[in-house]
Amino acid sequence: MGFLNGSASFVRFSVEGDLPENFWDFAAERITAFSFKDIDETYDEFSIGWVSVQNMFDSDFKFASYASGDYVTLSLRIDERKVAPAILKKFAQKEEERIKKEKQIPKIGRTMKIEIRERIQSELMKKAAPVPAVYDLCWNLSDSTLLFFTTNRKAHTLLEDLFKETFGLLIAQQIPYYMAERLLDEDDTQRLAAITPDIFV
Amino acid sequence: MDLVDLIAEKRFIGQEFLTWLWWKSEERGGSVELPGQGDITVVFEKHMLLEYGEGESSEKCICSGLQSELKEARTGLVMGKKLEQARIQVAQNDYEWNFTMAAAVMEFRNVKLPKTGAAQEGGNSPEEIEGLILERIFLFEELVRLVQALFRMFLEVRIGNSWKDELVKIRSWVHTRGQMT
Repeated sequence: MGFLNGSASFVRFSVEGDLPENFWDFAAERITAFSFKDIDETYDEFSIGWVSVQNMFDSDFKFASYASGDYVTLSLRIDERKVAPAILKKFAQKEEERIKKEKQIPKIGRTMKIEIRERIQSELMKKAAPVPAVYDLCWNLSDSTLLFFTTNRKAHTLLEDLFKETFGLLIAQQIPYYMAERLLDEDDTQRLAAITPDIFV
Repeated sequence: MDLVDLIAEKRFIGQEFLTWLWWKSEERGGSVELPGQGDITVVFEKHMLLEYGEGESSEKCICSGLQSELKEARTGLVMGKKLEQARIQVAQNDYEWNFTMAAAVMEFRNVKLPKTGAAQEGGNSPEEIEGLILERIFLFEELVRLVQALFRMFLEVRIGNSWKDELVKIRSWVHTRGQMT
């Protein structure tokens, strides 16, 4: 459910700065450079990059599938290996018990506990399958605005960073105040800056 | 000022807009005249979240029910709460959208787009898929355009000289509504 079908939730961003000449050539090169890299067969903990809005396994963008008229449509894919705290706690304690028996010691020191925890975490992390998350975006080139189809704040921050790295452009979430600045002229914007909350009763 | 501080300091603008829009939609029984575009339908329905105060001392009140039964929400207004979220139906010409607006940061949630012929027919060729994508973009942007037009209407009144008169009308509506519950 999202941009392409069903109901969708989104926020708006403005895209700040000028597009380079030959934008589509630039986009082809940059999107490929920052396309999603699969980590299923590696031990990497985190991967982020662009995939096609139509298929999360398509990061080659044959036939420039991100270009729709005057819009760029992309999905931000994030794969992350995670270990639930309860699982980590269980296996760390299990290992502590094993070591206590093996070494015939009644108690394990703090430093060693931390070492065990870190080692177990790294082992569990390697076994954990990466959890995918996919968020669609639609960039209106003529209007310099962007719809991002999630209300997840963490995803907003990741988008801001990846967008800047990919296209060298900053984006700003269009909260009401920023939206108002774009709708009003300079005098009215100053008036708006001066208003304070009113009581409606 | 960074974004987090700005959101906190200016969240009232979005909330006042949404509260104003509720009054505006009821002023003429669900019709709002957009300058230069004629009447559009704006109906508040089903679900509302009201907020009072800031930070740790803030209070929230969730109300849901049919349009005629939003008594708690109306009482909330009388108590000085402002709308933070509302489920709204907006219609212009043959198109009808349903969405939840989160006012402080202007999020569009659970947006239901108008039904169109192309969306129902579907298709798998690249041209048909691109057509479908462009149509959905158009429908999302149309909704944003309508909300922006309503927001601009609010801003012009809010920063203009007529705000005091508008506020008197809104306060009278809040009290009338409160008495009905």
